[in-house]
Amino acid sequence: MVDALLSDAEKVFIIHGIQDNCREDGRGCEDYRHMTLETGVVSNTSGSSRVRLANTDILVGIKAELGTPAPDKDDKGRLEFFVDCSANATPEFEGRGGEELASEISNMLIRVYDCPGCVDLQKLCIIPKQQCWILYIDILLLECGGNLFDAASVAVKAALFDLKIPRVTVTQDEGHVELEISDDPYDVQTVDVKSSPCIVTLSKIGHCHVVDASQKEEACCLARLMLGVSEHGTITGMKKEGSGSLDPSSIDDMLDTGKRVGIALNKSLLESLEEEQRQGKKKGRTGFLR
Amino acid sequence: MPTDTRRIGGPEESFSPLAYTPTDSTKTLMVIYGPREVVRKEEFSMKGQLTCEFKYATFSCSYRRQHQQDSEEKDFSVQLLEALEPAVCLHKFPKAQVNIFVEVLQNDGSALAASITCASMALADAGIEVYDLVIGCSMKIHEDKVLTDPTVNEEYDSQNSKELNHGSITIGFMPSLNQISAITSKGEIQIDFLKRAMTDCVEACQKIYPAMQQTLHTSIKDKLTASER
Repeated sequence: MVDALLSDAEKVFIIHGIQDNCREDGRGCEDYRHMTLETGVVSNTSGSSRVRLANTDILVGIKAELGTPAPDKDDKGRLEFFVDCSANATPEFEGRGGEELASEISNMLIRVYDCPGCVDLQKLCIIPKQQCWILYIDILLLECGGNLFDAASVAVKAALFDLKIPRVTVTQDEGHVELEISDDPYDVQTVDVKSSPCIVTLSKIGHCHVVDASQKEEACCLARLMLGVSEHGTITGMKKEGSGSLDPSSIDDMLDTGKRVGIALNKSLLESLEEEQRQGKKKGRTGFLR
Repeated sequence: MPTDTRRIGGPEESFSPLAYTPTDSTKTLMVIYGPREVVRKEEFSMKGQLTCEFKYATFSCSYRRQHQQDSEEKDFSVQLLEALEPAVCLHKFPKAQVNIFVEVLQNDGSALAASITCASMALADAGIEVYDLVIGCSMKIHEDKVLTDPTVNEEYDSQNSKELNHGSITIGFMPSLNQISAITSKGEIQIDFLKRAMTDCVEACQKIYPAMQQTLHTSIKDKLTASER
């Protein structure tokens, strides 16, 4: 994790604030920071999105490519997650410095997307055992401002919402199978992301837990629980991170908070995405990728 | 019985700081080095460092594994490290490191849980100061049933599962501090089931605890009689 350097006095200030449900930037313990979301930002991808959560900046591009299904999942397409921690974000990422964090983020995304209800992978299969769509989901970390996991999962969900895969028609001719990929930009297949999860990270600071910890707050936190929460509040994956340990009863409380916050996050994310889709081409570009 | 764990074995004496935990058929081999000097000079720290490397032996699973660590093994290494870190008195060996290497020789499910238990026993056996033992335990959630210590065929697999309430959970539990040092889950599970499985895991860990104490006790006794001779 990218840590901010904090003195003991600053840490005490943050911890005491959180006890009184008032954080360093004035938020309550269960509030997210302001989030900016935009889809369709990179033209060479099948789906893309950019999320800016305070100072955390993440760009996701999805490329759909044809490939062969994995032998043990022969009637399904698959998702491949790659995270790139760019040295633009912090000089610590130079060379192989960001590799550990990158693999942690991609492993967590694999974990929360590893259940049959999240994305209908069967729809990505074209010919069982032979051809399927493989979605290469590339996550580029442009700036670190805390809470990378949540921001990455929101960006992935938004990019999947934006995803447009060309329709493929299969014709069989005397045992020869032919694939025809439609080149009409409007003849496309989309992925239903309604039930895809978002990651909610709960950081234990002092005796309380907070969502969407800023970089300074992350420096005060010894243990955090990351949950993949679907729109119904079911948990699709869970992981504890950090060098501290947690009491069983506080994990119970964190699960409840995670469920509540996760449902709200999924709901407002989907509403914003649908609103953006409704505005269509009329909407102006806001980000740096104008 | 769904609530039974399989038999757990104890430390072996062939190498010195080493534990070998054969449950019925998951076999993990654990070697610990240290505390020893940190090789890389730039990483100065007043706290000791702990490193973990988790590896499946190439022949340990039903299909052949590669020599290089894959992403699952890297993920397990991190989880093992995070399970053990809260338990080890790192301030007792400043500027030094302890390296833990885990090799799963035969995988029949619950490999992470087995290696957490095994590693904490090995740490204790190696005489490294710890606040508490860490006990690993796994549960499979199958609709309304919760199964303790799943075998490889029972473990969660996103391929053959239905949508809701099929999954698995693994915890690392420190029994005398009553703290959970690691917790992970897979699969889409409702929150109530998850909580129930967690409670069951904690209970199972408390059952394993006396067995671990007993094993460590015997191992120390054996060492003493050996040194007297």
